[in-house]
Amino acid sequence: MAAKTRKAATKPRSVLIVGVGGQGVIMMSKVLALVCQRQGLQVKQSEVHGMAKRGGGVFSHIRYGETVWSPTIPKGEADVLLAMEWAEGLRWLDFLRRDGGAFIADTKRIVPPFAFRSRKYGSQPIYSPEAPREVMEMVGSGFALDATKIATELGESRAANTVLLGVLSTALEFPVEDWQEVIAQNVPAKALEANKLAFEAGRDWADANRSAPMEERLKDLPGRDDRRAAEIAPKTVQFDITGEWCKGCDICVKMCPERCLRLNDEMIVELSDPEACTGCRICEWLCPDFAIRVRRVPALEPVA
Amino acid sequence: MAVAESVDNFEINDYLRLEMMPHFLCPGCGHGIAMRALLWAVHELGIDKNKLAIVSGIGCSGRMGAYVDANTFHVTHGRPLAFATGLALARPDLEVVVITGDGDALAIGGNHLIHACRRNLRMTCLLLNNEVYGMTGGQVSPTTSENRLTTTTPAGNLEPVFDACKLAEAAGAGLVGREVTLQTPTLKDLIKEGLAYPGFAFIEVISDCTEIFGRKNDLGNSPEMILSQKKSMRPDSYGTVVDEPFRPNSLPTGVLARNDRPEYGETYRNFAKSKQGRAK
Ligand SMILES: Cc1ncc(C[n+]2csc(CCOP(=O)(O)OP(=O)(O)O)c2C)c(N)n1
Ligand code: SF4
Ligand code: SF4
Ligand code: SF4
Ligand SMILES: [Mg+2]
Repeated sequence: MAAKTRKAATKPRSVLIVGVGGQGVIMMSKVLALVCQRQGLQVKQSEVHGMAKRGGGVFSHIRYGETVWSPTIPKGEADVLLAMEWAEGLRWLDFLRRDGGAFIADTKRIVPPFAFRSRKYGSQPIYSPEAPREVMEMVGSGFALDATKIATELGESRAANTVLLGVLSTALEFPVEDWQEVIAQNVPAKALEANKLAFEAGRDWADANRSAPMEERLKDLPGRDDRRAAEIAPKTVQFDITGEWCKGCDICVKMCPERCLRLNDEMIVELSDPEACTGCRICEWLCPDFAIRVRRVPALEPVA
Repeated sequence: MAVAESVDNFEINDYLRLEMMPHFLCPGCGHGIAMRALLWAVHELGIDKNKLAIVSGIGCSGRMGAYVDANTFHVTHGRPLAFATGLALARPDLEVVVITGDGDALAIGGNHLIHACRRNLRMTCLLLNNEVYGMTGGQVSPTTSENRLTTTTPAGNLEPVFDACKLAEAAGAGLVGREVTLQTPTLKDLIKEGLAYPGFAFIEVISDCTEIFGRKNDLGNSPEMILSQKKSMRPDSYGTVVDEPFRPNSLPTGVLARNDRPEYGETYRNFAKSKQGRAK
């Protein structure tokens, strides 16, 4: 009897949107949820944005279908994983369906300060070493794009999330007009034009890439080695003390974040731990007697 | 986001009279840090040393002018603004900077300060406020906090404190700002704003008299005194620091007031031009 009235249970579809605080993860999931509602579907959305204000991770589960019971997506069952930040995408990768789930990721890297275990200039952060090229080769259906760059070229870098919505819209089955209308209702009036363009740019990018052969799609993505090399050239710290001017006030010693200065027996400052000095220059700025000079100079090539 | 290394080729020695160094300030005196910020700002604005005129009054603060390799005038107590007024009127091509102390500018020179603010003649006034007459051994000043010990208030100061910035604002200064020495780069940026301002710019620097005021009031040694700028005063410039978010004391810092109005030198020269040839 019950079988008569109950529809054949269709499995809900699941989209996981992740990023870091301030990127608009919640705004994007709201847009998606509203688009789903327009189709007469049931939608459940649940989000966590605990440390969002401090650049921490934000994620939002969106599940839609005829009937949705659970608001959260089980591991390995997301039909789409949309990542606005590269490492956040990797963090959630095991939520993506193995059989053809779509991974859409901005290659933007937002490296939190605490990822730097060493404060030395040029030190490498503890950040996922996997390059977009490697990950794209692993997932079934992958889109890695520099959405921020695309949005910036359109004149509004903050519309990067709308570029990604454009890509997402090509992976889901909803009419494009619904997306356009919902976006228009949810962005500030003065950013409307930029967001319209961004949405189209995302769709165009996805269409061009979907049909392109894998080699072509990987062409512009950075590999593991060339990720950071160009960004930070190594520097060494040049540290000069004018001992005759130092009055032993102790300010530099106490204010050095690395605790690498001390006063010698004559109450003159000396660099006791050159290895630990990051070249931050706080000691130079705070010395009332101009006795310290710190410079970061290009590192010399190691002598072979 | 690539971290652009700012072009920073400031060498303080290029701006010092090296033959006079080391300077005479006590160990850890905050006035030295304020000096660096000033010279750094001068450098970043590309101001020619030959066009820089530093007029300073009497006090440990005023004495700092003597160490700068520029045109320096070390004048009478309380009168650097009066001298600077004449200089700026006669030589509008010069970048005039006044270095003064809380005693110099607010006690004996309080009169000159309010009239300099009122005129809005283009110059920058740096008031190095250490709450005390440092040079003469630690007498009470108009900015000595209540209850503080000085040689003239051996049982604690009862007089209310002057807020130099409010005074300058009320008297009409074009630009009014305040910063602590601990925030040296921020202080440098504020001084730059003052130097670039086309009118009278008044900047109060919260400085420390470590040897006399600090010792008398048991405020700790130099590092502790400078750190208290962060701890007990909590300037607005630490608004983003989250170590103790509910600290109550607040000291407004940054640009506190702007009153854009005609610069007096310009007004004066135009007026003089309009009269030329007529008077005979
Ligand atoms: C006409 C005159 N009166 C008094 C003095 C003595 N005197 C020299 S410096 C000074 C006070 C300086 O205090 P402040 O301006 O706060 O400078 P600081 O030393 O604290 O930097 C006084 C009263 C003087 N030199 N000339
Ligand atoms: S530059 Fe100075 S304050 Fe910074 S780490 Fe080196 S010694 Fe310490
Ligand atoms: S801050 Fe300057 S004067 Fe004080 S101890 Fe350090 S080097 Fe010496
Ligand atoms: S007496 Fe005070 S203000 Fe003067 S140099 Fe010494 S510490 Fe600085
Ligand atoms: Mg003083």
